Amino acid sequence: MATTQAEQRVSPRAVQVGRRPARRARNGPLAVGLTLPALLIFAVFTILPTAYTFVISLFDWNPLNVAQSRFIGAGNYTKLFGHATPSFAASGLTSLYFTAGMVIGGTALSLAIAVLLQRGGALLGAVRVAVFVPHVTPLVATSIVWVWIFNPQFGLANAVLHLFGLSGVDWLDNSATAMPAVLAYSLWHEVGFTVVIFLGGLSVISGELGEAARVDGANRWQEFWYVTWPQLRPVTVFVVTISTISSLQAFTQFFLMTGGGPVHATTTLSFLLYQEAFVFFHTGYAAALAVVLFVVTALFTLLQFRTRRSSSR
Amino acid sequence: MPQSPLTRAVAVLAAGVLAAGGLAGCGAGSSTGKTTVTFMETMSSGTLKSSMEYLTKQFEKQHKDIDVQLVVEPDYPTLRNKETAALAAGKPPTIGQAYSDWAATYAKSQVLVPLDGYAGKADVAALYPGVRSDLYLPSDHKLYMWPFNKSVVIQYYNQKMLSGKGKSAPKTWDEFAATAKAVSGHGTVGVSIDPGTSAGPAGGEAWFEILAAAYGTPVFASDGKPRFTSPAAVQAMTYLADLKKAGALSLGKNYPGQVALGAGKGGFDISSVASYFYNQQAVGGKFPMGTAPLPSGPAGAANQLAGTNIVMFAKASDQEKKAAWTFMKYLSSPDAQAYWASHSGYLPVTPAALPKMADFIAKNPYQKFGADALKTAKADPPYPWVTKAQGELAVAMQSALTGKQTPAAALADAQKQAAAEAKSGE
Repeated sequence: MATTQAEQRVSPRAVQVGRRPARRARNGPLAVGLTLPALLIFAVFTILPTAYTFVISLFDWNPLNVAQSRFIGAGNYTKLFGHATPSFAASGLTSLYFTAGMVIGGTALSLAIAVLLQRGGALLGAVRVAVFVPHVTPLVATSIVWVWIFNPQFGLANAVLHLFGLSGVDWLDNSATAMPAVLAYSLWHEVGFTVVIFLGGLSVISGELGEAARVDGANRWQEFWYVTWPQLRPVTVFVVTISTISSLQAFTQFFLMTGGGPVHATTTLSFLLYQEAFVFFHTGYAAALAVVLFVVTALFTLLQFRTRRSSSR
Repeated sequence: MPQSPLTRAVAVLAAGVLAAGGLAGCGAGSSTGKTTVTFMETMSSGTLKSSMEYLTKQFEKQHKDIDVQLVVEPDYPTLRNKETAALAAGKPPTIGQAYSDWAATYAKSQVLVPLDGYAGKADVAALYPGVRSDLYLPSDHKLYMWPFNKSVVIQYYNQKMLSGKGKSAPKTWDEFAATAKAVSGHGTVGVSIDPGTSAGPAGGEAWFEILAAAYGTPVFASDGKPRFTSPAAVQAMTYLADLKKAGALSLGKNYPGQVALGAGKGGFDISSVASYFYNQQAVGGKFPMGTAPLPSGPAGAANQLAGTNIVMFAKASDQEKKAAWTFMKYLSSPDAQAYWASHSGYLPVTPAALPKMADFIAKNPYQKFGADALKTAKADPPYPWVTKAQGELAVAMQSALTGKQTPAAALADAQKQAAAEAKSGE
């Protein structure tokens, strides 16, 4: 106890003086030496490739024989607005469709599930696990499983429709149903994670405000809408932001379930980038696409920082 | 945290081991004094893998000074990516499987060796005519490829299902449509296909190309120009759209024809001869699986020479190139081809293999009529844009078969795209 009192008596100046060695340690050669390996790995695998991608985007790049590459300046970027089908704009809209579905649908669904599951108990605990489990399953394996679920001849989805006397649907081969089918799979896979985030948010908000609202005569919906959800604003912003970023980068399910088809109905920007880079080997054009996708994602990240800052004020 | 001398010693040792391992991994050449040939290929499963490994071992027994290392990739898109990545890194394999349009792209980038200096006239003459004509590139008319796994398309059918409807293997495409419609219904579909996508045309797209040729006009001219809007192409697409409307054709993914046939829910599978062992496995003896040549169209029989050739990359040393050619020539020899065809399902590239596999042909007649088709089957012309143009056809099929566009309109869109690609020369 004597030591504690002595510590309490130490002046702020003394604390600052006392921190100096720690600060020196953080900035000293040892600290730099210890950080260097991590920095080196980050530079080699992230920073340099990013810079190199930008350089490639300025060339008509021949990956087979770099000597045959030609500098074309912004040529690849201007091509983005006049390239053949599927165009950059059309793929951007497809990405937007998927992102809107995942962000609006995913946020609403996970919030609803979290509110339903927020009370404890063994059964609800088991349901929480069941909701989260799809998120930890491998995307590749479960995408293939869902291809079978949507198989028009043998799939579970059409079997359910047949039970109700409805005719089957070419889920993944019809341009009207392919994206909703991929969205259904993606929501199944992703919602578990955002439910856990909302549950975390719900566990720390004040219960007293809700109680007060109920005393004042608010019904369940009014309590949720006017009291609970506003308190979850920072969590909602976080969920919206990470859902947006991950949806813009989504690739695996499109690669395995639809291959960007039918008729380009699921060719998102990420898939278009893969197709141009690794199927058609239009490396320079693909690099330009990657740079634009990077800028769009970075803008959303900046937006996240700004929104979080303003909501925390 | 202060480090103990022991921790430091362990860290230094670990770093040393890692560095040594890394250096060993970068090492090139053989320490045994043998010439190493690396072969990047896709024979990754089933009898394809075991047959390839067997032939390689046999070759190494006969050529003690050559070590062949198989670099196996799971599928063709991955193979192309790996070959491209290896070329970009300046460390290509000695030889690799390649479709003719890949070879055209590689040759344009000057990373291939012409094989004219290795293959003699007699070597080339020993091959089937259809196979032979697929080895040269039109850019300089040089021999850049050597045949490896060649196939044509045949029809597989459920004999019990067809005879139940009083039908036998159809001889014309009109008969095929009538039979497919007759067996469809109650969960059974005449034929299931996967057209593929713009990123990767699949077997359904190959069938469309064959149909267009059977109606009178192949979809590519010999100079590679697309002819997707010809009356024959429109007729072929209309034929498939009618089957779909009648419920006799279904679209799917992951070899849907094989799956439906194997499950007893499909009348036919229109697929490569290389599917034979896979289809047999899928059927699993539940019913007798029939095989027959493809039906004919108004313009006669048409088929597509599919499969890849082998190319030699320019980076290899003269000694490696010489060893690689010895291996390539061995793979196309009558003995090796007889073994390969009998165990892999692919067709022999030389008629000289047929007498050596007489027993197999007697039990598996598809090999005989498949090999006969090699005399007339045509490969797609070797131009860099062909695969991309086939992707446009796959998109047109998706559009026309799901009723989004009429066959003519869907093909017109594909023609526009493909013509632009052909013009740009990509």
